[in-house]
Amino acid sequence: MSKSLLTIGLSLSLLAPLSAQAGAKEDFQKIYSEAESAHKNAGNFQWTTTSSRLEEAESAAESGDYDKAKAMASEALKLAQESVDQREKQAEAWKNIAIGG
Amino acid sequence: MLKAKIILVALGAALVVPQALAGATPEEDRKQAVEYFKQMFPEVPFEEYVNGQYALNEDRRGQWESLQDFPPYEFAVAEGQEMFETPFANGKTYASCFENGGIGIRQNYPYFDEDQKQVMTLELAINQCREANGEEPLRYKKGDIASISAYMATTSKGKPFNIKVSDDPDALAAYEDGKQFYYSRRGQLNFSCASCHVQNPGKWIRADFLSPALGQPSNFPVHRSKWGELGTLHRRFAGCNRNVRGEPFAPQSEEYRNLEYFLTYMSNGLPVVGPSTRP
Repeated sequence: MSKSLLTIGLSLSLLAPLSAQAGAKEDFQKIYSEAESAHKNAGNFQWTTTSSRLEEAESAAESGDYDKAKAMASEALKLAQESVDQREKQAEAWKNIAIGG
Repeated sequence: MLKAKIILVALGAALVVPQALAGATPEEDRKQAVEYFKQMFPEVPFEEYVNGQYALNEDRRGQWESLQDFPPYEFAVAEGQEMFETPFANGKTYASCFENGGIGIRQNYPYFDEDQKQVMTLELAINQCREANGEEPLRYKKGDIASISAYMATTSKGKPFNIKVSDDPDALAAYEDGKQFYYSRRGQLNFSCASCHVQNPGKWIRADFLSPALGQPSNFPVHRSKWGELGTLHRRFAGCNRNVRGEPFAPQSEEYRNLEYFLTYMSNGLPVVGPSTRP
């Protein structure tokens, strides 16, 4: 094997993890942004569990652990979407149990 | 099979009881709430509702009554009186901000302030008084504001709550907003205030014995064993929201003031008994 081929092979093997990390970072940023937006959309029906997952995601991203950050952001997104569903449902459902309607 | 159907029909009827008692005005809501609890606890006299869970559980009432010989909030009330009577830097006192010098007025709070277009709670009025006299506002959950509010409550002891919701559409909207808050499920655990205090009072939820909605604000500020000190009603609201994993609101936020307006209106006719003690 020539020296130049060896150099190219070595460079590619070193770049691969970096590009994978760049992908994870972009994935995290996209999901985090969606989760943040959904959390805001929950209005006065926000859940504490969503807030804590968002904080954990941000903290993991700051330490460079984008796999964990992405996982936490995904959980936050799921919880935030459920809280939005709750807000929409309760806009009418509260009347069903209210004394006086 | 027939028995099962009867049980299902009875259960369905029980669940729609509040709707069947549909009302159109705050006063109709209140009367129907009183009737609802009368049907739920026929043996409990109306005036007993100010005692919350202790109106429904004799064992807990016995323990609570023994605590009343040396109530843990006494020093805080004395401090509250001292602060209430101590002049601000400009020489005026809290008395200058309130009707009747602030004595015997707790039963009229909260009210809808038609000039400010917002619900005025006693704690908000205390801080507005401070600011109008060049003083820094107090923090809302505990400490000095709870002590001053507790002292003012003692001067109204026994006076029935007399909360008014006028025909002003803004006042009515604030009441309705508080009502919607009380009955809306929130948090990851999907509980409303009413899930515990309208649908399930008198039952245990983990280690807590649930109190009925009627009379809940009558004993505030309250000394909770859990806190080890006096706290305001809005501190309790925030704790309830957190318990069901819902984001709490700031004390004296519009949400909590409207909630207090609705909840206290429901207690009209019941006497002020605050401060009191709770677990």
